[in-house]
This record gives sequence, C-alpha cells and structure tokens, in this order.
Amino acid sequence: MIRFENASITYPGGVQALKNLTLEIPDGQLMIIVGLSGAGKSTLIRAINGLVPPTQGDVIVDGVSVRKASTKQLRQLRSRIGMIFQTFNLVKRTTVLNNVLMGRLHNTGTFRSLVGWYKPKDVEIAMRALERVGIVEKAYVRASNLSGGQAQRVGIARALAQDPGIILADEPVASLDPPTGHLVMRDLQRINRELGITTVVNLHFLDLAKVYGERIVGLRAGELVYDGTGAEANEDVFRDIYGRSLTADDVLGEATAPAAVAL
Amino acid sequence: MSLTATQENIRPPKPRPSLVVPIGLVAFLAISWVATSEQFGIGLDPGKILEDIANGVGILGDLLRPNWAFLPKTVEPMLETFRMAVLASAIGCSIALPVAFLASRVTAPNLLTYVADRSVLSVVRAIPDFLYALIFVSAVGIGPLPGIAALILFNIGVVAKLQSETVDGIDVGPIEASRAAGGNRLQTVRWAVLPQVLPNYVAYSLYTFELNIRASTVLGIVGAGGIGRILLREYKFFNFSNVSVIVVELFVFVFVIELISITLRRRLV
Repeated sequence: MIRFENASITYPGGVQALKNLTLEIPDGQLMIIVGLSGAGKSTLIRAINGLVPPTQGDVIVDGVSVRKASTKQLRQLRSRIGMIFQTFNLVKRTTVLNNVLMGRLHNTGTFRSLVGWYKPKDVEIAMRALERVGIVEKAYVRASNLSGGQAQRVGIARALAQDPGIILADEPVASLDPPTGHLVMRDLQRINRELGITTVVNLHFLDLAKVYGERIVGLRAGELVYDGTGAEANEDVFRDIYGRSLTADDVLGEATAPAAVAL
Repeated sequence: MSLTATQENIRPPKPRPSLVVPIGLVAFLAISWVATSEQFGIGLDPGKILEDIANGVGILGDLLRPNWAFLPKTVEPMLETFRMAVLASAIGCSIALPVAFLASRVTAPNLLTYVADRSVLSVVRAIPDFLYALIFVSAVGIGPLPGIAALILFNIGVVAKLQSETVDGIDVGPIEASRAAGGNRLQTVRWAVLPQVLPNYVAYSLYTFELNIRASTVLGIVGAGGIGRILLREYKFFNFSNVSVIVVELFVFVFVIELISITLRRRLV
C-alpha cells in the first residue's frame, strides 16, 4: 500500500510541486493521475520511489518511509517498484535484452553486473518479461532499431523483470500514436489485472483516463482536486481539474479501445 | 483558441546583438600583431622565410629520396616504439576510464570528487610529455621504461578529459531508469552510461595510441627509448635520406591506426 501523509515537495528553485497531499493507494489498484503540465503529476509519481523525496510530510510505501529511508533501503524499495517513462529511457546502443536485464540489477552483485555475468535465472526472468509483452523475438536487437511502440513495450518488460509489486508509469503514451497508445495502456491494464501489480499512471489524455482508470485522481497546481472512479468522471469533473474548458487536444481519440467512451 | 490566453500577444523588441564576437575578433588580431612585431614579440618576418628557403631545398631533395637500405636498421627501434605505445596506451587508457567517470558531473558521486579530479587532471595535462620523460629518465635511467611512464601520464590526461566531457553530454534518461530499478552507482555507470560512451572511448584510445607513436620520436631525444633515438642520430649526421625512411614508416603506422579506428567505430556506433 502507498500512503501520502501531508506530503509536500518544494524544489531547490523554490517551486512547490506538491502541496500537503494525503492519498492512499491500496494494493492491486490501477490509479490514473490527470492534470495539466506542471500540475505535479511527475513529481507525485517520483515521490513514490524516492527519485524526488518529499520535503515535508511523508510517503509510506509498504511500510517504508521514503523520506527517512537510507540509500540502501531506498534501493531495496526501488527494486520492488518498476518505472515506465514517456521517452522510454532505453540505452539505445545496447541490446533489448541488456536493457531488460537492468531490471535484474538489484538482484545481481556489483562485480557480476560490471562484467555482465547475469545469473541464468535472471536472464530467464528477463526473457519471460519480454514474452509477456510479446516482443521476445527482438531480444538480441539493438534498442536503437525499435519503433516507439516496441520501445515502450521493452520499457514495460524492464519494469516487469524487477518482479515488482508496484508499477509507476509517467506519461507512458505521450510519445506514441493513438492506436499504439491504446495497445500500451491495454498491456498495463492486463498486467495490473493478471499479476495484481499496483499501477499508477500519469496521463493527460482524458478519454484514456476514463477508459482505463479504475480510479482517477486529479491534480491542479500541486493540490488534489478530484478523487473518484473513471465512470464518475464526466466533462464537468475534467473541466474543474483543468480549470478551463476542454479542447480536442485533451483526448487521444481514435477509438480502437475495446470500450471507448466519448466524453 | 489562443495558446497564450493570459499573456499579451506582442512581438518583443529584437535583442541587441552580442558584442562578444566582434570584440574577441579585434582583440585576437591586436594580440597577433603585437606578438609578431619586432619590439614586443617574436619578430616574424615573412621575407626571411623566402630568403632561407633555398637552404631547405637540399634537405628536401634528400627527404624525397628515402634510403631503403636503411630500413632493416629501423625495425628493432620501431618495434620498441610500437611496444612502448601499446603498453602505455593499454595502461593509460584503462586508468583514464574510471578517472573520467569521476570527472564528469553526470557520474561523479559528489561535487568534491568532481572538483578534485578535474584539478588533478589539469595539472597532469599542463606538464608536457617531454618533461615527464626528462623527470623519469633522471629517476630510473635511460631506456623504454621512463618513456612508457611518461606516455601513461600523458594518455590519462588526454583520454580522461575528452571522455569526461563526452559523459557530460549523454542522455540521462537511462540513468534515471537504472536508479529507479534499484541499481547502485557502479551498476548504473556500467549499464546506463558506458554503452553510450564506448565508441568515443575506443576512438580516443586509438587516437592516443597514434599520439604515442609520434611522441616516442620526441621521447627518444631525452633517452626514453624507441625510434626517436635513431631519428635524432641520423638527423645529427645530416642523413636525411635515412630520416625520410623513418618518417614514411611513421606515416604508414598512423595511417593504419586511423583505418582500424574507423572500422572499430563503425562497428560500435
């Protein structure tokens, strides 16, 4: 379980990205965070794995305080939290498999990892992760040769290879075309349902949020302004979160989703 | 719909052009003029070059007629130069890699390490290889060993500087991914940073190898082994046809290294 306890985050420059946030995410939930750019979505997600620790209050993940955790405890915590990025963050100059094996670093001694001597068991876990997202045939291809959709699936495989209890996805479809965006969201939904992994996703496409969000949380200027189910979230709710009327840019469109819902 | 609904949509005045470039250019020309003038500088006189060029023609003629009979005598010292360069490059570049990671803001563990490493590196670079050779010759005596030691320090200075600046310019996304996956610092450097900078590292290492082959001609002058000793001797006896043979050999060496460098880089990029 993830619990935000009056958590605030102020960046060194003085920008307050998160204000006094209290939020509880139960195990196994698929929660989607919506809000405009700069509303604090990325900061919220990075507070969970301590990439951006809270400056006031605290975030408790599976009983561990992110703010008080030592470097070692933080690494242990991160090993149980997979992360997926908008720009994929793959190492382009190496193979897909090496990228996915990054998810096994936490289980590999420093010497073994320096010489690339991964245990066969860890290679097997990486291969299974690639199979789960249907891209195992690319295992020995250089990551630079992948399309955007393929690259994001490798990103998901890297997160899965950690065997995580939580997956964080920071704008996972913002760099993809609409059909591919839906495919990636469906992958995340399937992983959440089949493996019971708690999944927290940042999105700014409202139609996607509504379709895939078991729960939607709205952020505006670092403050929680909405917390409810995807079904409840109608146009008025989104207008309130965004603080303005909605435009065509706020939806991904191309209704290839199984149950696409117009706003 | 206006993208900037809250701001007034007015074109800003054109910023004033920066004066840095024109002032720099004028300063450069002025300094050059002072430096070449007779009173303050080196007293550069283009006419003198033309006057003296006749003296060079005889030497040039000898240089264009390499005495190939001399070739067998250069083989052993050339091999010594080659062995010195291989050893110095291997050791110097191996040390330079971790030093480079500590000298980049992206991979250094803290500011202190970064500043300390960079300061030491500038000192290492500031001392010319010739001076290193002189110091080591006086310390351990004449032979290839002081030459190798001098080249190692030279290589660390060059490769660590170039490599650390390459690391500064990498994509930091994979670093965040590695940290988020629970990787420690060394693992992150190995799997998120090294693959990105490996082609440059190979190129820099081959480049210093090439520099080492050439530097050995200078090092030989102070008794630090290699082809330089023979080159100096032939030069002193005005055997420019023999000097020519050595120059051609050096050229072939450098050319072959360049070919290997291009091939390797293409494989790695």
